[in-house]
Amino acid sequence: MSEKVFVLGGEQTDFQRNWTKEGKTFMSMMREVLDDALEKVGISYDEIKRLNKENKVAVFVGNFDAEQYANQGHLGAFLTEVNPALFGVPGARYEAACASGSVALDAAITHIRAEDYDLAIVLGVEVMKTVSSSVGGDFLGTAAYYEKEAKGVQFPFPKLFGKLADVILERYELKEERFMDALAEISRINYANAKRNPKAQTRTWFMNKEHAMARGGDNNMAVGGRLCITDCSQVTDGAAVTLLASKGYAKEYAKKTGRKFDDIPRIKGWGHRVAPITFEAKKLESVGDKYILPWTRQTVKDAYKRADLDVKNIDVFETHDCFTSSEYAAISAFGISEPGKEHIAIEDGTIDFGGKKPINPSGGLIGVGHPVGASGVRMMLDLYKQVTNTAGDYQVKGAKNGLMLNIGGSATTNFVFILGK
Amino acid sequence: MREIKTVTILGANGAMGSGSAGVIAAFGGAKVYMLARDVEKAKQGIEAAVASVKTDTIRARMIPGSYDADLEKAVAESDWVFELVAESYEVKEPINIRIAKARRPGTIVSTVSSGLSIGRLAKAYDEDGQKHYYGTHFFNPPYKMILCELVTHSGNDKKVTQALGEYLDKVLGRAVVYTNDTPAFAGNRIGFQLMNEVAHFAEKYADKGGIALLDEIMSGYTGRAMGPLATADFVGLDVHKAIVDNIYENTKDEAHETFKLPGYFQKLIDAGKLGMKSGGGLTKVVKHADGKREKFVYNIKTGEYDPYPKFDIPFIKEARQKIKESNYKAAMDVVKTASGFEADIARYFISRYISYSLSLVGEVVDTKENTDGAMGFGFNWVPASAFVDFLGGPKETIKLMEASKIPVPKLLKDAKEGKKFYELGEKLDARSLFKG
Repeated sequence: MSEKVFVLGGEQTDFQRNWTKEGKTFMSMMREVLDDALEKVGISYDEIKRLNKENKVAVFVGNFDAEQYANQGHLGAFLTEVNPALFGVPGARYEAACASGSVALDAAITHIRAEDYDLAIVLGVEVMKTVSSSVGGDFLGTAAYYEKEAKGVQFPFPKLFGKLADVILERYELKEERFMDALAEISRINYANAKRNPKAQTRTWFMNKEHAMARGGDNNMAVGGRLCITDCSQVTDGAAVTLLASKGYAKEYAKKTGRKFDDIPRIKGWGHRVAPITFEAKKLESVGDKYILPWTRQTVKDAYKRADLDVKNIDVFETHDCFTSSEYAAISAFGISEPGKEHIAIEDGTIDFGGKKPINPSGGLIGVGHPVGASGVRMMLDLYKQVTNTAGDYQVKGAKNGLMLNIGGSATTNFVFILGK
Repeated sequence: MREIKTVTILGANGAMGSGSAGVIAAFGGAKVYMLARDVEKAKQGIEAAVASVKTDTIRARMIPGSYDADLEKAVAESDWVFELVAESYEVKEPINIRIAKARRPGTIVSTVSSGLSIGRLAKAYDEDGQKHYYGTHFFNPPYKMILCELVTHSGNDKKVTQALGEYLDKVLGRAVVYTNDTPAFAGNRIGFQLMNEVAHFAEKYADKGGIALLDEIMSGYTGRAMGPLATADFVGLDVHKAIVDNIYENTKDEAHETFKLPGYFQKLIDAGKLGMKSGGGLTKVVKHADGKREKFVYNIKTGEYDPYPKFDIPFIKEARQKIKESNYKAAMDVVKTASGFEADIARYFISRYISYSLSLVGEVVDTKENTDGAMGFGFNWVPASAFVDFLGGPKETIKLMEASKIPVPKLLKDAKEGKKFYELGEKLDARSLFKG
């Protein structure tokens, strides 16, 4: 499949912005990000019109919960409000909780692979600052089994990922202090990386290891078992676009824009697995397995197999660090360490910005911010930047292949993509 | 990168002192001597610093002290002495003499003055001290407002300036803007020009809606979160007066007359009505017995407070709708083509703001990116250069200026058409500063 689907780039909004405070909506966000993405990539609305005449362009919108946050559905059709060039362009909205961006990418990849379209516009979007954090926390609870895991629970997801931290600690018989230190280091790395990213939500926020270690109290409150504020990513308003293309179109595009075709990265592998939805069921199922999240590991393995690559070939990772515990578990899922030895990869600097296997040079969800439906598309965009050497101050030197893991729910929906040249 | 391990803050209990100390102790990881008139006040400053950056981790490295007992010892130990005492030569100069005596060679000393001459304050020091003396104009509250105007004077050493700028930028996370030692520097000179001239127009149009009308005309669709007169009310009319008086007395530029304080401002100041901090000024909010709050606005003609009016100005409504949809150029097209005196006023002030910002390049700052940064990061106003782009480029902007009889700055005359005029886009998305 690595010769079928190409990534031409894209753009994201500044995740520090609060669109409600600006008096703007998800529609204005879609307009800005799409205009910016097309300008950056060098594709005009006239070109979209041309492709549309032959039914060779389509739109895939990743979004989790616009109905509740913005009182609006039918987002696939909403791009027609952005620009009349999109009249007639097939478009739909895709949803898989925090992996909504990835399921939109997956649909776009599938259509391009099937040679239905030459160009796919994948737009992830979420406006979340329309409600208070407790109301928003309740909305997010619908990504779990609401009735069993979220109803009447304040901030259900920190609690679910707090349970993941508990299971890691117990199952691998880790020393609590060492484990919590490793989680704090994950937090430190993500915030430090985000400082180099001009679109990151937290780029002006204060955070260091000392603060991440100082859990408890008013300034770093416990929100889910062992996990405190510094262990959590924070929701925000944001959108991201990536443009995917067929081989033929990518070749044409390279010629038109004076780029080298060989420099355009391609999707080399993918994986998609769904684990049992409740955390309790996941926990029970994984008893006896080396991996606490075996379906996450399986998704990574599927992607490696399809790409005919392994961890040794991957130069940079973008992972779903909705909480420090989810990034911790991802380290072994990627194969960077053995399960149970993740803390060593953290302690010895392997996953740090300058390490052998850097994770989240962008800052990840903890640093960049987590506009739920946009995160998967943002990760793909960041992989694109890394493998095309255009990530600016957060460029990982010499990155050729990148892998992203985007999860929905408590590691329920798992999506992995590998991008490289 | 310059290593700054120990810092002394003078004025540790003020909002700026404690906020700046919080930033230095947190981002900089420095040991900070928190000095105030007495130790109790300094201790309050430490708690305020902790609250401002929301981390208990800095408390242990903040040491309270008083000017009388601890200044010399703290200064002698420090790599940077940051003075934030009251905004007057009478207060600052004697304290500088004490700092100068206790300071080690190489120690940086800076002041947070928003208008005093840095060169004059530097005179308290020997040659090495003058070389290391700066204005570091932080904005309030320092953790959230990341602008720092780094004000240099003729006695500075470029290498030290560069090292300090790097420290402020890379370590403390400030958006550093370099300005020359001119009255009110860049941000306040531009910001208070607009605010004060808008205040004059409010008087001129007192019959048509006065203060409330002018703030409506200059509201979010012109690229600011708060109206200029609401801003004056927020900072305090006494502070406003101090800044515009200083600029009026010490500059002679094209906008000189606009810096004269309006008579009604003085009247309100004399009556102790200084703005929000004193319970009322240009506006006031009254809490009724049923708990409901009602906003009133000062009537310049009658001297009474009237209920705050609502306006229905069609072109403003239309422009706001376009901004709500992130259609900024269309919004500016509405402003450019609307008729009526309100639209004339809007065009006049948009032109004035761009023109005045760009006219200061060369005198106050070396490049327009510095004035753009000052207004974007310090005031949350759409920077002048970005406005040029939203208006459709230099030619269109010049047309607007000429129609409003505003001088066209050379920088704009020389600008290339068809090329983006705003160059800070990667650092500051100017679109985020328009409000729909």
